Amino acid sequence: MKDLISIAWRNIWRNKRRTAITIASIFFAVFFALIMRSMQLGTYGHMIDQSIEKFSGYLQVQNPEYFDDPSLDNYLDYSGELIQTIQQTEGISIAVPRIEAFVLASSGHQSKGVMVTGIDPVQELQVSNPEHLLVKYRLTPEIVTKIMHETTFDKKQIELLKFNETGLYHNLDRLALDLGLKPEDFEKYHPVFETHASYSGQYLKPDDDGVLVSSRLANYLQVDVGDSIILMGQGKFGATAAGIFPVKGLVKILSPDLDNKLVYMALPLAQDFLNMPNNLTCLVMNLTNNDQLIEVQKRLTSNLDPNKFVVKNWKEINPILEQQIQSDNKSGQMFLGILYFIIFFGIIGTVLMMIAERKREFGVMVAIGMRKSKLILILVIEMLFIGIIGTALGMMAVAPLVYYYNFHPYRFTGEMAKMYEDMGMDALMPAAGFDAYFAWQALIILLMVFLACYIPLRRIRKMKVMNALRA
Amino acid sequence: MKVIEINKLNKIYNESEVKVHAVNNVTFDIEEGEFTAIVGPSGSGKTTLLNMIGGLDIPTSGEVMVGGSLMSSLKGADLTDFRLHNIGFVFQAYNLIPVLSAKENTEFVMRLQGKSKKVCDARTKELLKAVGLGERMNARPAKLSGGQQQRVAVARALASKPKFVLADEPTANLDSKSTETLLDIMEKLNREENITFIFSTHDARVVKKARRVITLEDGKILSDVRKNGGE
Ligand SMILES: Nc1ncnc2c1ncn2[C@@H]1O[C@H](COP(=O)(O)OP(=O)(O)OP(=O)(O)O)[C@@H](O)[C@H]1O
Ligand SMILES: [Mg+2]
Repeated sequence: MKDLISIAWRNIWRNKRRTAITIASIFFAVFFALIMRSMQLGTYGHMIDQSIEKFSGYLQVQNPEYFDDPSLDNYLDYSGELIQTIQQTEGISIAVPRIEAFVLASSGHQSKGVMVTGIDPVQELQVSNPEHLLVKYRLTPEIVTKIMHETTFDKKQIELLKFNETGLYHNLDRLALDLGLKPEDFEKYHPVFETHASYSGQYLKPDDDGVLVSSRLANYLQVDVGDSIILMGQGKFGATAAGIFPVKGLVKILSPDLDNKLVYMALPLAQDFLNMPNNLTCLVMNLTNNDQLIEVQKRLTSNLDPNKFVVKNWKEINPILEQQIQSDNKSGQMFLGILYFIIFFGIIGTVLMMIAERKREFGVMVAIGMRKSKLILILVIEMLFIGIIGTALGMMAVAPLVYYYNFHPYRFTGEMAKMYEDMGMDALMPAAGFDAYFAWQALIILLMVFLACYIPLRRIRKMKVMNALRA
Repeated sequence: MKVIEINKLNKIYNESEVKVHAVNNVTFDIEEGEFTAIVGPSGSGKTTLLNMIGGLDIPTSGEVMVGGSLMSSLKGADLTDFRLHNIGFVFQAYNLIPVLSAKENTEFVMRLQGKSKKVCDARTKELLKAVGLGERMNARPAKLSGGQQQRVAVARALASKPKFVLADEPTANLDSKSTETLLDIMEKLNREENITFIFSTHDARVVKKARRVITLEDGKILSDVRKNGGE
């Protein structure tokens, strides 16, 4: 065997250029496949992080009836016992209480169905963090006029300012981005924006009697901080729920769907409003290790009374996101398939050429007593060498990039950044860390090498020594 | 003692329109230790005959018994193994494995037989010295002359002490001096190790060295002459 390996190793360097080309093609395939996979998987992770970790949670505890019939009648008791069980279950990093109820909101002549979300304002900072979403700066046509008077914007900047004349912002950086201002210019105009564009929203206190209204909803209802909205609906067991609530702040939520319908309320106020003291609709949980979703779900399920509680994972709660990811994943895999398919034929070509060139040599080897199986083994080892070298080099080249972008996600700027934000995501693209997909690429290449060897090597099986010797 | 028995051997090629009777009803025996040349003009069937004896080609009809085994009864890997353990081959040219040194080429067959490194080493050195290549043991074939390459091929064919060596025009690509050297080496090894040699040639100088000469023409045996000192 050692002899065979040594022969194979020397053989691959007989035609250095061809070996180099074959290795290079595998190298590039692996390199691009890994980069692409890493970015894709990283993006999925990011998407999940944004919409799951930051809102619905990886796991939720609900009343068993609630999932099919999300009525307040299918409530959950917010008991110390439940909290304790969750705390004792390994793998859960945080659990926050929520009440979600659909009611009618109105102000003036406008009314609209909205989702009231009762939160614990302190604990919620670690999940959806509404404080971070507060609108801090705002542009209106009047404000835009004032700013134009006090600055020396050029034509293009004025155009952008007018274009964004109803913009809402969490921070000044994004405002500067929208107006196409360079950092040094922005320093200069900073005070102007502070004076004219500041918007004074307040985050909820634990016993707050006001609400936070999502920005698109606020726009529809035409309410501002300081105004009030009327909420009307049904509480638990059909009790009438009605009240008038001061608007404490606007939250600009990245997901347009949520931004159209969300009203945040402190938990005690929501419980009071909806006639469900000490009740919740769900407990939202995040995990210490997101790869253990199913394990933790099972573990917690077994720890809880199945008659009273059910544990749902994010894929069950948000099947649309799961489907989106899976369909995108499919198309990514298909692209890789095509990439590998091309490389595959390259490898077959190499094997065929090797066999054609060395036909006489093979004839001699079999004539003097080498079994064809050994000959085939030599060729397979040669191809494995090429495959392994190409794969290893590809991985080595990708590793630093993946390592870096995993810890320092690429931040989009400009239009790309806006696009991401409009889709409801941070404009980040992290690379997925080193994971199973690395091993998969190696496995695929290995498989390809074996497959590529198969057809040509059948020729060796059928080779007539006589004909080979005459070659 | 008869070691090769050939009985009514025929080989007919009918791949093209015209049938070619490459070997035509050939019958003869070879005794142990013989040093036999098969001669004849180009196309007379020398290569075809040798290949059938060596189990590289399949006869159309007739029998080849080598060392008591009927060649036609052996198939696939068994046939390969039979060659490995019984027959040494030398071809006209390009006998050697290009990526292996002279020494590695020489011990190749022994390694396939599973002989230990130590045994291989000793035998290889002995043989390469005998063929005058003691100094070039680590050279790859590309660095050796045609005559040197053929000497390595002979060393390899003999290394495993096979019962027979079949050589198809081993000197065809060599100049006269190299031809003479190779023939002397072959003859010496034939005497010393009592290995049966059969080689084909159409070179008169080579024929001179043979102790038995079988002449073919159009696939038939024209004459079969044993010289003095043979057997
Ligand atoms: N594979 C083949 N298909 C058809 N005819 C063949 C084949 N191999 C050999 N022949 C024919 O068989 C005859 C004998 O060929 P062979 O090679 O045995 O002759 P040879 O004596 O070795 O000739 P040379 O001295 O040129 O090597 C020739 O007429 C040749 O054309
Ligand atoms: Mg011939």
